[in-house]
Amino acid sequence: MANGTWKIARGKGSPQLSIAIVAVLAVALVVLGRAQSSLFDRARAYFSDATAPMLEAVRGPVNAIGHSVRGLGEIFVVYQENRRLKEENARLRQWQNAALVLEQRLHRYQLLLNAVPDPSLSAVTAHVIGRANRPFLDTMILDAGKNQGIKPGEAVVDARGMIGRIYLVGQRTAWVILLTDLSSRIPVAIEPGHIQAILSGDNTAAPGLELSRQGIVLREGQQIVTSGDGGLLPAGLAIGTVIWDGSDFRAGLLADATSADDVRILDLRAPPEEPPTPVPGDLPVSAAGLPPLAPQPNTSLSAQTAKPPIAMPHGVPAGAKPVVPVTAPAAAPPDQTDAQDH
Amino acid sequence: MHDRIGLSFAGVAASTLPFLCGVLGAVIANVPISFLGSVLPPPLLAFMPVYFWCLVRPDLMPAPAALALGALEDLLSGGPMGIWALSFVVAYALVDRERDAFAGLSGIGAILGFAAATLLVGTTAFVVVAISHGQFTPLGPVMLQAASTIVLYFPGLALLNLLHHRLIGPLRSDY
Repeated sequence: MANGTWKIARGKGSPQLSIAIVAVLAVALVVLGRAQSSLFDRARAYFSDATAPMLEAVRGPVNAIGHSVRGLGEIFVVYQENRRLKEENARLRQWQNAALVLEQRLHRYQLLLNAVPDPSLSAVTAHVIGRANRPFLDTMILDAGKNQGIKPGEAVVDARGMIGRIYLVGQRTAWVILLTDLSSRIPVAIEPGHIQAILSGDNTAAPGLELSRQGIVLREGQQIVTSGDGGLLPAGLAIGTVIWDGSDFRAGLLADATSADDVRILDLRAPPEEPPTPVPGDLPVSAAGLPPLAPQPNTSLSAQTAKPPIAMPHGVPAGAKPVVPVTAPAAAPPDQTDAQDH
Repeated sequence: MHDRIGLSFAGVAASTLPFLCGVLGAVIANVPISFLGSVLPPPLLAFMPVYFWCLVRPDLMPAPAALALGALEDLLSGGPMGIWALSFVVAYALVDRERDAFAGLSGIGAILGFAAATLLVGTTAFVVVAISHGQFTPLGPVMLQAASTIVLYFPGLALLNLLHHRLIGPLRSDY
C-alpha cells in the first residue's frame, strides 16, 4: 500500500502549463454548462434510454433492498406510528365527508353559473426506475418518455402530492427534477389567503418559500398548492404545509420522493389564450387620426402585413374559412379535486 | 510486436487502462440505483484512478484525462455541468504540485493523503456550486460522499495496485 515504492514517471514538457490550460477549460465548462445546459441533455437522455432495460430489470430487487434499509430505522417506532396513523385516519374520514359535500355543492354552483369547464388534464402513469440522490442533484428517472407523449415541464405527482417536474425527456425515459433540487423553482399559493410565493429547492428535505410580497405573516400548517402561474403546471396541486425550522418558514412536502415507486405525469392541455383581434382603431396611425400607410408593392412580406388581420384558431388549415373570434370569459381557477381526479 | 511508428498494442492498452478505469468508475457510480434507499450518496469512484495514477505514474493520467473523467462524472450524474471536472482538476493540480509529499506516504498515510485530496474535491465542488447558483447547499451530503469514497479507497487501492503491478507493468516493459 505504500505509494513511496513507486518510481514516479513525469511527463515531458511543462506540466504546470498543461494544468493551467486544463483548469481554464474546466472553468469554461462550468460557464458553458450554466449557460447552455441543453447542450448536454441529449447525451444524458441517450444514456438513460440505453440503460433503461437494465434499470427495469433490477428495479424490483433494488427497491426491496432499499425499502428494507429504510425500514430498519422505523422498526423501533412502529407502535407509536401505528397509533398516530389511526388517529390521523379518523380525522381524515371526517374531512373526506366534508370534502364530498363541498364537491357536490361546487358542482351545483358551476352548473348554476354556467362556468367555463376546467382545462382538460390527462395523466400517464410511470414507474420509477432510477434515483439519483447526490450532493448537488435530486432527481429520479421514469420509464416513460417521448413515446408516451411526455414533455418537459409537466408535473409529476404521487398519491400524496407533487414530487417535481419533468426536465429531460428521452424516447423511453424521462428525468424528474424534484422539488427539493437546487434548480427547482415552482410558483405556489399558500392557503388560506392565496399568498403568492416561489418554492425554491436547496437540496434540503424542506424547500424554502420566497414570498412575492413583504410584510406577509405565515402560520405553520397553512396549505401550499401550485398557483398555476405561467400555465405550465395545473393550479391547485397539493405540495405540502408551511413549517417553521427555527429561522425561516419552509415547505414540509406531502410526497415522499424516496419511497415513490409509481407516479403520474400530468399533462395540462389548457388551450392557449387567443389575443383579441385588433380593430382599425387600435392601430397607432388610425388612433392618431392619420391615414393608414400604403402597402409596399414589391415585397411579399409587406403585402402580407397590409392585409386586414384575420383570426385563425390554432390547428386550422390554411385554406379553411376564417372564424369570427368571440371573447371568452376568463377561465375559473381549476378545482383541486378535479385537477387530480381527471 | 512494435509497429512502424514505435507503438505497440500492449503499450497503447497500458496507457489507456488507467483512463478506462476512471470511465468504469464513473459509469458504475452513476448508475441510478441505490441499494441503500438513497441514504448515502454514491462515491466518487472515478477520482480513485485519477489520484492513484497522478501519484505513481502521471504520464498515464495527465491533467486532460482528469478533466475528461470529471466531465464524464458531470454528464452521467445529471448535475450541473463542469462541477466535478473543475474539482478533479483542482485536486489534480494540488497532488501534482505536492507529489513528493503525497507519494512518500505509506500505509494509513496513503489513505489520509487520498482523504485530503477527496475532501478538496468535495469542497471545491461545494464552492463552485455556491458561486454558480448563488446559494449554499447543505454540506452534509458532500461530506458523506467524501466519506464513502474514502472508505471504498481501501479495497480500491488494493485493486488499483494489483492492476498496476500485474497488468500495466508487464504491458509497459519500457518503464
